[in-house]
Amino acid sequence: MGSSVKKKREKKKDFQKTKLKVGKSNTKPDNFTDTSFKAKSIIVNQQSLSADAPSLPKQLHHYLDIASGSRSDTQRRDALSYLINQFTSQPVNATIPIAPLFLVKKLVPLLLDGSDSVRTQLLKLFRLFPPSGLIHDAEHVLLYIRAGLTHLSARISTDSLSALEWLLEVAKDSAVSCPGGWFKTIKCFLLMLGWSTTDKSLGWTRSNSSFGAIGKAQGRQLLVFAQFLKAGICDDHPLVQYDPGNGPPLYREAYMTPTVPNPFAHLNLFGPPRDEETEMYMDIESRQRVFQTHFQPAVEAGIERVKKEAGEAGRSAAVLAKVVRDGMASYSSIGNIL
Amino acid sequence: MVKKRVAALDKVDADLANLQYKIRRDPKSYADDFQSQYQQYSSQRDIFLASPNTASSGSIVSFRDLIDLVAHVADCYPEFTTTFPDDLKSILTLHHATLESELREKIVGSLVLLRRKEIIDSTDLLNILFPILVATPSKTLRTLLYQKILSDLRMSNSKATNHKLNKAVQAQLFNLLMADRASPKGLWAVKITRDLWKRQIWTDAKAVEIMKEASLADNEKVIGGGVRFFLGGDKEREELEDESSDDDGAIDIGKLKHQVGINKKTKKKAKALEKAVEKVKKIEKKKKQPHPLNFSALHLLHDPQGFAEQLFSKHLQSSKSKLNLEQKLLVLQLVSRLVGLHQLTIISLYSYFIKYLTPRQPSVTSFLASLAQATHKLVPPDALEPLIHKIANEFVSEASASEVASAGLNAIREICMRQPMAMNDTLLQDLVMYRKSKDKGTMMAAKGLLSLYREANPDLLKKRDRGKAAIMGIKSGVMKERRFGEEEVGGIEGLELLEQWKEQERKRKRIERGLPEDLATDEEEEEDEGEYWAAWDVESDASSDSGGWINVDSDAEIEISDSEDEKPASKKVKLDAGKEGEKEKPPAEEVKPTVSKLATTKILTPADLAKLQELRLEASVNKAMGNRAQSARLKELAARHIDDELTAEQIEGFARLRKSTKEERIAMAREGKGDRREHRSTQALRREKKDAEGKSTTNREKARKKNFLMTLGKAKGKGKRSLTETRRVLKGHIERSKRGGKRGNIGK
Repeated sequence: MGSSVKKKREKKKDFQKTKLKVGKSNTKPDNFTDTSFKAKSIIVNQQSLSADAPSLPKQLHHYLDIASGSRSDTQRRDALSYLINQFTSQPVNATIPIAPLFLVKKLVPLLLDGSDSVRTQLLKLFRLFPPSGLIHDAEHVLLYIRAGLTHLSARISTDSLSALEWLLEVAKDSAVSCPGGWFKTIKCFLLMLGWSTTDKSLGWTRSNSSFGAIGKAQGRQLLVFAQFLKAGICDDHPLVQYDPGNGPPLYREAYMTPTVPNPFAHLNLFGPPRDEETEMYMDIESRQRVFQTHFQPAVEAGIERVKKEAGEAGRSAAVLAKVVRDGMASYSSIGNIL
Repeated sequence: MVKKRVAALDKVDADLANLQYKIRRDPKSYADDFQSQYQQYSSQRDIFLASPNTASSGSIVSFRDLIDLVAHVADCYPEFTTTFPDDLKSILTLHHATLESELREKIVGSLVLLRRKEIIDSTDLLNILFPILVATPSKTLRTLLYQKILSDLRMSNSKATNHKLNKAVQAQLFNLLMADRASPKGLWAVKITRDLWKRQIWTDAKAVEIMKEASLADNEKVIGGGVRFFLGGDKEREELEDESSDDDGAIDIGKLKHQVGINKKTKKKAKALEKAVEKVKKIEKKKKQPHPLNFSALHLLHDPQGFAEQLFSKHLQSSKSKLNLEQKLLVLQLVSRLVGLHQLTIISLYSYFIKYLTPRQPSVTSFLASLAQATHKLVPPDALEPLIHKIANEFVSEASASEVASAGLNAIREICMRQPMAMNDTLLQDLVMYRKSKDKGTMMAAKGLLSLYREANPDLLKKRDRGKAAIMGIKSGVMKERRFGEEEVGGIEGLELLEQWKEQERKRKRIERGLPEDLATDEEEEEDEGEYWAAWDVESDASSDSGGWINVDSDAEIEISDSEDEKPASKKVKLDAGKEGEKEKPPAEEVKPTVSKLATTKILTPADLAKLQELRLEASVNKAMGNRAQSARLKELAARHIDDELTAEQIEGFARLRKSTKEERIAMAREGKGDRREHRSTQALRREKKDAEGKSTTNREKARKKNFLMTLGKAKGKGKRSLTETRRVLKGHIERSKRGGKRGNIGK
């Protein structure tokens, strides 16, 4: 309560309207801050003014960095397409200034990239490389492919399938025999297909897990799985012919200087001890054994189930069944002999 | 509206949270999804382990989120996630220095989460976190880990004390201290122990043992931490407890009920009231609970003699110790407190003091205080005599400054209070002469010394200084010089007083009931007993106890006697006690006092003991009646607990006031008066304060503020009144003021 005239007047002041006058600007509010500024020139802090363009390797490295490190996906995609352009426009015999191995190592994390176009560009780029360079480095690539296979996003997992197909083309042996390459990858496939090894429910209906694909996509998954198994357990090496007068006849590689880096990796002399999952399975027999003991029942049950569904998936399942049958035929015969 | 395209990132992020929610609701149906996510986690982990330093957080589902998901639902699928805690552990222990900070925090958080879901137990968790806490260079991580470790320890001790875990952690801390005595890492052990001690989670001897080792370490910081704990840890604990008990009283039930009565009644408000009542009840219950026995750290020490000796020889006596003066003073304080409290014997300690006892020594008052603290009645007077002489020579002389003299006298008094035999008569008579000094501090200190020796050993004083009580005491033979090491014979001091008091209480009660005061019937006793059991505890009403005033009645007397068959015995005791009281009245009679049987026949409750202390004080105050200074001193003495330390301020005494500058004195005078910006009357200030509190005005104030025009009419009329009218008005005014206003205060 304003008891005095002064207090009343003060109170009144708050509610008085300010008069607007013609030709005069509005009064500024109390908390007004002047943000305008005047400058004669704007100086950009850093600018390069070199006359000659950077050399090709430098440019390639620059774009490589952008592709692997940029935060914007359009930039990544554009950098990748620049690289593709560079490689395709080179004459056939010209050597690429960057080692493909280095390129693959740097770019392979993009398999898990969120943007579709980046991944397609990446696969396109990978297909350009000569198949020779990559043989020994399947483990690193396979890490990312496996992460892609079980990815939440379905599109990433399909792209990872294509990447695996490419890897099987360029480095088949290395892919199935690198540490963890056989066991873990099959496990990934089973999870992806929903044939998980621990599933023991016998009911009529089963919940389709939210990521499990059906129909066409499943068919593709089955086909790639079949390819992978074929690379692992089907022996398609030609028999070594005896060739007189040409050095030691059989096991010739064993006597020569090894052509691969770290040829005794399977002995695991320096690394941490490996368990069953991360072990290297160098020969067909051991791979067959692992497949039989851990995966075969689940795979066969799965095949039966999918075959009943028919369609494209059913056809692919038949292909897979044939691969399994062929691959395991030789194993069981050996097992019987032993 | 155009449908917004959801970016892949958004979708996937949403999916993980969604998946977690679904799994929580129905773990069985989502087992497949979880497995694939777990697989995803393990492939991400492999990628991470292949190159831990270059792990990118850029990929759309980051490793961090996967860890988060798995940690949250790990309890639903124990069979899949057996290796998960080990994975996290190995990642953290191997790469904690190079990990990206967010990922690191997530891993620590997930481990704690797993602990809360009881997938790993506390011991495992602490075994993982503790080595990293000690080793990591990152400050943020250290803070996080420290906080997590503490909260985990608190949590696992919240319901019941987890002895096993405590023991394991204590052993770990102990080993940390013992492993490398010179390293500053031991500070973590000190910090953790101190914190847990403060919160009363660790109250056992093992924690004290850890601190003991810390104060015997080689690193200055660790030593400082350990010593400070012994000097201040218990106080900290008490303060924390007080704080927490203060918080409880925040709810005012009366006010809440009043508000509910006034405002609109809603279910919500009723519920709020109910909740408040419940809370208050809970707090009451907690207050009523028996107080846990908390021994001070100094009392829990195992082998205090050895500890004090080691401290002294390692940090003070040896020339190798690198402590600075401040730290040395701390250690000295601890040593002297130990010596004083446990009555230890370290003879070389006293000669150590000699070189520090000059007025030029920095913070000499602390040295003096430590010396006084280190004195007790079993210290040989020979060891103290040279020290007292030195203090007297260096500090107390006409030439020295008044503060110095008073500090010296105070120090001598404190020492002699604890060991009166360290003084000889010539020195004492000299020192007592300073009571004629013009300086107030010196005068008071000398008087203190005088009154001390009037009680302790009046023979040393000149005859005219002894005072009436002492002369009479010497004559009657009550006051005798006590020999070195002599202990008083007899049981509990003041027990007969308690007995007397109890008898009086009984009589008073009986008179209240209208019964003859002498005989106690059996039923009555039984009745009483029930009452006493109910009031076992000391009343926790702080206001009645803390004042220290003597004649406060506690609400009920308390006694415990067991069963029927014991009764005759107890009755007899009471009769005895009555007789004893009569006998005490003629003091000249030489009666050998019978030892009271109260303590042997009854259990003394805490309330009894409190009363006993009170009576003891009362008696000593009564003895010193008439002598105001002495009684004041006694009161002060009583207020000081035996465990409390002697501080440098007490030695400085009155001189401290003098040393303050004018500004300080003004500030002191202003303290508590509130600020007045401009010069105004006290009335106006009071009014303002009342306004600020939202209180109403008095009638007088209203009258003063009344509009002048309104009063005019009455004032005009007043002039025209006749004499009788005036008389009537005046009479009415007098009557009203007697009644207390127009309406009066009859209704009250």
